[in-house]
Amino acid sequence: MSAATSTGTPPAGPAAGERPILQAEHLSKSFKVRSESRFGRKQSVTVLDDISLQVRRGECFGLVGESGCGKSTLARCLLRLHEPSAGRTLFDGVDLASLDRDELRAIRRRMQFVFQDPYASLDPRMSAGAIVEEPLEVHGIGDGRERQRRMLEMLADVGLTAEQARRRPHAFSGGQRQRIGIARAFVLRPDVVILDEPISALDVSVQAQVLNLLRRLQEQLGLTYVFISHDLAVAEYFCDRVAVLYLGQVMELADRETLFRAPLHPYSISLLTAVPVPRAGGRSRRAGRAQLIGEVGSVGERPPGCPFEPRCPVGHGREICRGQRPALTEPSTGHSVACHFPGEMQINHAGAGAHA
Amino acid sequence: MRSLADITRARRRAGSEGTTPQAPTPAAPGAEGGAIDQPDAQAALSVRNLSTEFRTPTGVVHAVRNVSFDLRPTERLGVVGESGSGKSALALSILGLIDPPGQVAGGEIVLGGRDIARLSDRQMCAVRGKEIALVLQDPMSALDPVKTIGSQIIEAIAVHEPDMRRSAARRRAAELLREVDISQAERRLDDYPHQYSGGMRQRVAIAIAIANNPRVLIADEPTTALDVTTQAQVLTLLDRLVEEYRAAVILITHNLGIVSEFCDSVAVMYAGRFVETSGCDHIFLRPTHPYSEALLKCVPNPERLAEGPLPAITGFPPDLSRLPSGCSFAPRCPIGRERERCHEETPEPHSVDGPAGAAVVECHFAEERVGGALA
Repeated sequence: MSAATSTGTPPAGPAAGERPILQAEHLSKSFKVRSESRFGRKQSVTVLDDISLQVRRGECFGLVGESGCGKSTLARCLLRLHEPSAGRTLFDGVDLASLDRDELRAIRRRMQFVFQDPYASLDPRMSAGAIVEEPLEVHGIGDGRERQRRMLEMLADVGLTAEQARRRPHAFSGGQRQRIGIARAFVLRPDVVILDEPISALDVSVQAQVLNLLRRLQEQLGLTYVFISHDLAVAEYFCDRVAVLYLGQVMELADRETLFRAPLHPYSISLLTAVPVPRAGGRSRRAGRAQLIGEVGSVGERPPGCPFEPRCPVGHGREICRGQRPALTEPSTGHSVACHFPGEMQINHAGAGAHA
Repeated sequence: MRSLADITRARRRAGSEGTTPQAPTPAAPGAEGGAIDQPDAQAALSVRNLSTEFRTPTGVVHAVRNVSFDLRPTERLGVVGESGSGKSALALSILGLIDPPGQVAGGEIVLGGRDIARLSDRQMCAVRGKEIALVLQDPMSALDPVKTIGSQIIEAIAVHEPDMRRSAARRRAAELLREVDISQAERRLDDYPHQYSGGMRQRVAIAIAIANNPRVLIADEPTTALDVTTQAQVLTLLDRLVEEYRAAVILITHNLGIVSEFCDSVAVMYAGRFVETSGCDHIFLRPTHPYSEALLKCVPNPERLAEGPLPAITGFPPDLSRLPSGCSFAPRCPIGRERERCHEETPEPHSVDGPAGAAVVECHFAEERVGGALA
């Protein structure tokens, strides 16, 4: 699979014979924006650039990267909440673009979203119970009594009582609100849930509770998760496979063990080593680390070669990196990387690695 | 794995009570004394029994309760705790920025030999931004969007040096921008905040904070809004500047990783109190207070995946207007929940010796826990 051209087989394929639940094929997404001048012509900004990946049934697939890397846009395209500009997305083998409104609506029941901000994503005028019951009404499931039963059951599942179902969001803490958001997403018994930074807005002690809840629900219901996170430590703890994104492209994709123990892409390594670890000896540990120069580039000024080249400790200034976009190749089964010099940068195990 | 340097540092800290005044030490009390005593004359900042409360229609909210600590010159103290534990209220109390219905209800804040808790608003204006500076979480809201970067830095200089000529202030502003690694500083003075990236804005906020060479820099979640690679850069910048300007730092954060990699000492805040104050090497090896340990254990650690669910802390922090009697953590505490004394008697801060230095802990049963290391 090449990111520049479009030949070959998609990387990191599923186990033989099993159909991936979600699939992106050469997915691109551009948005039209007006240039700086008010009278300027509209310009097209490419946010996702030729992404191909597959999410296996029952796994937790992580999308990690810094702000503006396209994690959330990719997740939205996967559910066709955004219309892709090129390429296609398949849900359980069905091309989402081929569906009409009703069919799309029916299939959406099987895919749900949990948002980052539990303060903004819940309607303040509705009770917790009504918030959780609403999706059942929208999809016309059961009668009033049945819906009520399922709502209460779901709330109990996330640790909220029938009495609490009557309260409105303002009466709940951040962690409890996120539980309501989770209950709303899970009450339809979906196949796939996209978790968009579900714990970023929460305190560390509450984060642990919500992660435990998500893991239990996944085991109970046999769900597939797409977990979006900028926190690599959490992704390492929670995900089975992880894709590292930078400026709308997949830089590296591997299973957890491989990505966090033996990363090949200089960006993955830099990202991993930038995460501060709560352990003794931190000051000297940080002093021994190399540091990236510059900040995340802008999708509006995408360099012609590798998007990471301007900041790359390995490729900065190298002609091939500046001029030619590296293709996503698969040096070993299930481990893809888009870099001209994969593995040239070594992860420093003494001082770095999220938990080396 | 501990390097030799770590061990040396830890040793130095262990023996630092009274012997090496330069070494950063947790809080005030001599290891021998036990109770918190007089303000420390050598400290850059010495806080004693500080309490801040907010009088609301539903009762008095005790946001900061009886907090005492010393900050030596160039020491970096990390203040950690969950939201609502009083971290920001503490920072605002030190800065004299608590507005009614809130008030500093008691205690001393000794900065450069005088108690700034007793200063008038007007006198405090001369201290803020000069002797104590503040860096906030969100650099976009800290900067004025309709003023140029240059005019905002110049304003910060001019407030405290009214006699400085504008051209000199501008030169100083450009110098400050260069100090925080912004290239083409002279030209970029005339840019507006929106023309800067998030990381650059935070650098500007830091430039403003150090403009008047403060003794104490309070940084409230300074990197939380930044990407991890930018965060690493900003921490390195702070490293260099606090060395250069010899400023002591209070870093408020919920990120324990940043504390371990930036700070010398750490104060764990719970329900308005400093429940544990100790050296970083100490707390990350052997947290002494049960709450510190619980907090450290809920950070996801892939190495302990096999052990099942994360050990989350049960229950909720107490309502600060209806505090339980005894230890505030007792209802959630794995060792104190069942013990009568914890529910009846408020533990006083006292010093406990551990293998990696002393900790000041508010726990009745701290001594019996010193032996147990965090696995």
